[in-house]
Amino acid sequence: MKARIFEIKRFAVHDGDGIRTTVFFKGCPLKCVWCHNPEGIGAHPQLAYYDNKCIGCGECVRVCPTNAQNIANGVHFFDRTGCLACGKCTESCLGDALKLYGKEMTVAELLPLLLEDQDFYENSGGGVTLSGGECLMQADFCAELLKQLKEYGIHTAVDTCGFVTKEALDRVIPFTDIFLYDIKARDEDVHIKCTGQSNKRILENLRYLDALGKSIEIRIPYVPQWNDDQIEKIAHLLSDLKHITKIRVLSYHNYAGSKYASLDMENTLPSLLPSDEETEKARQILKDMTNFSVST
Amino acid sequence: MLLHFDSQKNSLDGQFEMPHWITDSGLSTDELESLVSELEQAYASKAIIKAKTLALLADKAQIAIDADDIFQDKLMGSGIMKSQRKRWENEAKERYLATETAEMRRAWKEFGAYKGEADYGHTSPNTRLLLSVGLTGLLERVEIASQKEGLSQKQKDFYESCRIVLNAVITVAGRLAEAIRPYNVENSKALLSIASGKPQNSYEAMQLLILYFFMHEYIGGTRVRTLGRLDVLLYPFYKNDTENGVYTKAEIKEMLKFFLYKFWVAKVPFDLPFCLGGIDADGNEVTNEISYLIVETYNELNIYSPKIHIRVSEKTPADFVKLVLSCIRGGNSSFVFVNDRIAIKSLMNVSIEERDARDYVPIGCYEPAVWGVEIGCTGNGGVNLPKAVELVFNNGRDLKSGALCGVETGKIDSFEAFVSAVKKQIAYMTRRAMDYVCKIERHYDEINPDPLLSCQYEHSVAQGVDVYEGGAKYNNSSLYFYSIASLTDAICAVKKLIFEQKRYTFDEFGDILRANWQGHERERAIALRLSEKYGNNNPTADAIAVEFSDFCAALINNKPNGRDGVFKAALFSVDHYLPISKRTMATPDGRLAGEPLSKNLCAVTAMDKHGVTALINSVTKMDHAKFPTGSVLDIVLHPSAVSGEDGLEAFYGILMTYMRKGGFAMHGNVFLAEDLKKAQAEPEKYQNLQVRVCGWNAYFVNLSKVEQDAFIRQAENSL
Ligand code: SF4
Ligand code: SF4
Repeated sequence: MKARIFEIKRFAVHDGDGIRTTVFFKGCPLKCVWCHNPEGIGAHPQLAYYDNKCIGCGECVRVCPTNAQNIANGVHFFDRTGCLACGKCTESCLGDALKLYGKEMTVAELLPLLLEDQDFYENSGGGVTLSGGECLMQADFCAELLKQLKEYGIHTAVDTCGFVTKEALDRVIPFTDIFLYDIKARDEDVHIKCTGQSNKRILENLRYLDALGKSIEIRIPYVPQWNDDQIEKIAHLLSDLKHITKIRVLSYHNYAGSKYASLDMENTLPSLLPSDEETEKARQILKDMTNFSVST
Repeated sequence: MLLHFDSQKNSLDGQFEMPHWITDSGLSTDELESLVSELEQAYASKAIIKAKTLALLADKAQIAIDADDIFQDKLMGSGIMKSQRKRWENEAKERYLATETAEMRRAWKEFGAYKGEADYGHTSPNTRLLLSVGLTGLLERVEIASQKEGLSQKQKDFYESCRIVLNAVITVAGRLAEAIRPYNVENSKALLSIASGKPQNSYEAMQLLILYFFMHEYIGGTRVRTLGRLDVLLYPFYKNDTENGVYTKAEIKEMLKFFLYKFWVAKVPFDLPFCLGGIDADGNEVTNEISYLIVETYNELNIYSPKIHIRVSEKTPADFVKLVLSCIRGGNSSFVFVNDRIAIKSLMNVSIEERDARDYVPIGCYEPAVWGVEIGCTGNGGVNLPKAVELVFNNGRDLKSGALCGVETGKIDSFEAFVSAVKKQIAYMTRRAMDYVCKIERHYDEINPDPLLSCQYEHSVAQGVDVYEGGAKYNNSSLYFYSIASLTDAICAVKKLIFEQKRYTFDEFGDILRANWQGHERERAIALRLSEKYGNNNPTADAIAVEFSDFCAALINNKPNGRDGVFKAALFSVDHYLPISKRTMATPDGRLAGEPLSKNLCAVTAMDKHGVTALINSVTKMDHAKFPTGSVLDIVLHPSAVSGEDGLEAFYGILMTYMRKGGFAMHGNVFLAEDLKKAQAEPEKYQNLQVRVCGWNAYFVNLSKVEQDAFIRQAENSL
């Protein structure tokens, strides 16, 4: 069994408690306008090309099995249509201008990488987080990986958008210590506008996890003009739940622009950024309307 | 009544730049100097001359009073004894070691290869004994010891010199007491009290520490001495004072402000350390109420010197460590954490008894030495490890001058042969530096007798032998090995490019390096992005670092020095890596001639591509306990990684993981590359931005462009 992984981030300190390693799985059923991991949306591997880093060395042209990489008069250009995403060019690129997002990996390959930082997890109350994209689109793999991590006594977190089948959740529930659960909107029409999908299933799954007594950390991206009118409604929704450990309000930023460009993807990032006061106000509303701790 | 710090603060600032010398209180420097030269003619024993010089200054030099301060310390004549020693040192070198000294100068100043030198600094005076028995108590001990039958003339001179210097300090205390009386009766009383007996309370204890320190450091002229374990020293006074209504906690905090600020405004060389926390000789943790109070007070003062070493054992309270981490996170990078377990083990590796080892203090940047029992001498020079690679490629010659600097290791045809040739070069350079240190140390009796230090060392007083002649219980010396990461990366590149990928022969690669990669830009780019680099948890690179660190340690640990002690290895570079970098040609890892080599245990700048956890996993594969003079890892963290309560836990997790995995010492910097760039562009707006340079701290805006750039690149790499 293999999964498609696009990144392994060490010393992750914002994906659950303590020092963690986060594994990013490729493929996501939603398409949020503000997505800052566009490389995680598509299920298939993609080659990213950062043209500002290219030094025109031509190494990629030498190794590429197709005609995707070209150089003419010392100027390099990349033609994505011919690219097989085999990754050969990334190993030889002398400018670090090429990066392959999406590598097939087995549990046996992944596990030793995650164990390397086990001492850090233990000394900081951290562990491993599965994220994405949407990791639960590859739920069988996640379940196996989480099970093996638990055998080493490692704390596990699953970061999910919730737009997954109940079966997928059931697969990982026994091996997951905490769910990091994204809530983007309460109103269905707003949710569809922001993500392309209804939130019905997401809310059902949230209640399901809560009813089972699983620990849940809620994460709310705060994006002006998109979901900023949803905070009170979300707070109302959450106030009925019992197993929320914490609510985080993530202030929207638009740093991901260059990633869209490197992947030739249409940049959908909203331009309006929230002010500190706005996000702080959103946190305050959540604090007042629920009894949960709220942080950044 | 004691003065209130906040209202005095501004008037304390200039006290060392423009002391208020009382002109009719004594002679000026010129007059003193001529009296000193008369003295030098009158006596044969250097110890006696030195003691009498101090006594002369104590009796006759002008004093200054700081009426706005609550501690007094100023006697004119700073520099006189330092130049006296310098003169004696030059005489001894000329007489006994002229050719060796010339070789040594060339090896360092021209080749940047290795250095051996005398070290009279880096000591850990027995301040605990000083505070428990006082100046008069020390004097009594000298008297008793000197009653012994059958003493040699040298021993008699030794005791006489101790007697003279202790009386000199007492004299100065008396003169200062007299002069301050019209302004501050309480200060005057405290000075009189320490002139006539042991200190009675926190205030007198601090005044005695200050007086002794400045007499030794400024008048005695040997630099870098620690105050010792400050929380251990002050706690008994603090406890007694607060329990018996002598002083309240708030009053003691006020005194601490003046105390710490004194060292700050004095700009003590290398930020003089003291330490807090850790276990005592019995294995019990010492952290106490005053440890917290010192850190809090220091942080409130918003100063970066003196620096503070924090000893961390498994028993050190987590909230104390976190208090310090939160200061670092707030921008005060003057703290270093030293790992008790490893420091103690390292000292035991050079035959120091366990109870003694547990009572170590870091005596310079990071180097542990037994408090008041060992003369550590941790600044005897070192060896530029990457230079060994240059020497192998050039058959033992320094590339720039063509002069023989190492040994001829000839043509290399296998990786094994390369490794063994590099080792030969390192061993040769180390041997040369050690030999020189041994030779010069044998003449310490003619260069640097130090009765003011010796009279605090019980072993020295019992034997009647100066601490610089082997009178201490442990009389050790040290050498540093510089730039282990650059050495590792260079060897990895040779292994991969020449012997595995066979891109070029040994000679061809030598030509590329001699050309400083000119015309070989593609080859250089390939070398730079090899994955076998130190600091990435890469097994190949880490195995080389382990092999060479073990090799270096074994070259010197426990080898005899020139003072009845042994050598101790260190694996750090302080700021020495900058001058030697300039004198080291291009290296196989893609570095250009003159570019900075790696510093301390850090990776080559920006070559640790997998973050701080991989860096720590890499670095801790080496056995740090094999470096009894220490090592240190500097980490740079992004503010967002350590912000909030969670961030503090993460910071604590990083530190404790480093310690538990066997790391020796760590210091942390928390800043944004963006801020550093802005500070470089607009220094006037960033006057307060501090960074930890090497063993000491500095304001970022005061660094050279090269150093600033290195910090920026390191910070850019921090996420
Ligand atoms: S990923 Fe493979 S196919 Fe695509 S450009 Fe690189 S080498 Fe060519
Ligand atoms: S290998 Fe990299 S740097 Fe070289 S031409 Fe291709 S993309 Fe540019």
